[in-house]
Amino acid sequence: MLPVLVVHGGAGQIPKERVEMSSAGVRAAARAGYAVLQGGRSSMDAVEEAVTNLENNPSFNAGYGSVLNVKGEVEMDAIVMDGRTLASGAVSAVRNIANPIQLARLVMEQTSHLCLTAGGAGQFARAMGMPEVPGDSLITEYARMRWKKNLAPNANPVESQMEKMGTVGAVAVDEDGNIACATSTGGILNKMEGRVGDTACIGCGGYADNRAGAVSPTGHGEAIMKVTLARLILFHMAQGMSPEEGSDLGLATMKERVEGLGGVVTVDPQGRWAARFTTTQMAWAAAQGGTLHFGVFSGEDVTQDIGDPN
Amino acid sequence: MKAVLVVHGGAWAIPDELADASVRGVKAAASEGYGVLGTGGSALDAVEKAVRAMEDNPVFDAGHGAVLNADGEVELDAIIMDGQTLGSGAVSCVQNIANPVSLARAVMEKTDHVMLTSRGANLFAERIGFKTAPTDTLVTAYERREWGKAKEYGAGVKELFHSQLCHDTVGAVAVDSCGNVACATSTGGIRNKMVGRVGDSPVIGAGGYADNRSGAVSCTGHGESILKVTLARLIIFHIEQGKEVEDALELSLRYMDERVHGGGGAIAVSPSGQWAATFTTQRMAWAAAEQGTLWYGLNPQERFQDKPVQ
Repeated sequence: MLPVLVVHGGAGQIPKERVEMSSAGVRAAARAGYAVLQGGRSSMDAVEEAVTNLENNPSFNAGYGSVLNVKGEVEMDAIVMDGRTLASGAVSAVRNIANPIQLARLVMEQTSHLCLTAGGAGQFARAMGMPEVPGDSLITEYARMRWKKNLAPNANPVESQMEKMGTVGAVAVDEDGNIACATSTGGILNKMEGRVGDTACIGCGGYADNRAGAVSPTGHGEAIMKVTLARLILFHMAQGMSPEEGSDLGLATMKERVEGLGGVVTVDPQGRWAARFTTTQMAWAAAQGGTLHFGVFSGEDVTQDIGDPN
Repeated sequence: MKAVLVVHGGAWAIPDELADASVRGVKAAASEGYGVLGTGGSALDAVEKAVRAMEDNPVFDAGHGAVLNADGEVELDAIIMDGQTLGSGAVSCVQNIANPVSLARAVMEKTDHVMLTSRGANLFAERIGFKTAPTDTLVTAYERREWGKAKEYGAGVKELFHSQLCHDTVGAVAVDSCGNVACATSTGGIRNKMVGRVGDSPVIGAGGYADNRSGAVSCTGHGESILKVTLARLIIFHIEQGKEVEDALELSLRYMDERVHGGGGAIAVSPSGQWAATFTTQRMAWAAAEQGTLWYGLNPQERFQDKPVQ
């Protein structure tokens, strides 16, 4: 059934006190993205809207609320992909902008390239008239606290990451059957300066193809890259697997081959969707046919009317 | 186990005046890399050695001989991947490093990350003692002249001739006597590219992929097209489905041409020692060493054989 939109707010182990704000956040983003689809606009507009919403929400590790690199600074990655043409835009290690997902879309639409990084991405943002924001304006107390804690020599940022925060993303199919994905992140807690994870890498942090579907992953970035998770799941779906089967197999492969945990939101051209994860939790929400589905814990699938404001 | 090494020096309309040097360059690189395998060395060591040889050779657009970006600076991308562990290391837009493939390997072996970009990559290089190479030592007078011309004519001409632009990225794939496979790819990108433009070369699944269960691939050609179809991973996917290496390459390149109208080339090797070098551009300089024989070619259908190598 079309249209459909699914969002995630990160896979990991969300602390109890943050579960409700994460779930409320993905529900709000799903409603915002779905409204775009109901208005007859494209899946690309819808996923951009949903992810912008999550970037602006300080509860998530993207845009405002991003985790900090080892120097205590924000460097962000983002990607969009258009399933009709396989066009894509991505930015990696970009600083001082509020909405990397919008910059990624501009890379796709205003340049002949697919990915711009660091200083070059910043230069392009300025050329596009995107407002430059002070680095501090993207940093929350929570992010700063986590950063300080993980500077300790025996801290394990990967475990800590799994426990606390995640990338955000969305996939959608519009009324015309066009498919799109979008993913955005501040990366991994206390990462090296210039570290680029899966999010900016097409086929890893996102992939969309009208012929197969779309995937937006979250989880341990390096593991997602090693198995090119988004592309892997879509290969399985192109061979006849459902979004759920393809996603589970892809995640199982990642766990088996490289001991990585994560989650995905996935959609196919018919509008079948899945939100699957091997971590303890993943905040997700799906909007389809007037109903909002959502969950945080494994096996959870709560439904409510999409008009319900909660 | 049959040890094999294949290299490419870029898929594009290599002009006659560069043809001989390109063929000599790939043959020399293949011999050097094969020398590592011959003494029982690993596929990983062999591909790094072969790519270093081509980075050091100013006729190829990688390391020495790199093209200049829009600001007249050198920005280099590289990737290396270990098929045994799916471990990978990559650098994007690193400046003034003579052997980016070795820096990529250091990312894989000395950090918890898979990819470092720009200044972060350079800081890492400095920390581990990689020397900075002044731009003048990396850029040829020929390139400065061509860059000057490109700047004068501007973007319009660039688009018109995009298929004629130098795409002489370099790469290598190998299988060693233990049946382990590896790949490596390195480039200076497209002449006059936007500052911070990242192409396919450092993106896992696009510019290269290696998996002991199926094989190793290195790609070259129109970077944006290679990214859109995640060419390396697509080729591996076909091999996983039981296709012969040569067929996997041909199917994938044909798909890239049909779906996104992009030209390119790729080399691949399977764990059992099957190999192929295929391209849809006018030319691709390539060479392969197996069982003491050196094969090489430049124009379509060419497959010359040389005297035995050590």
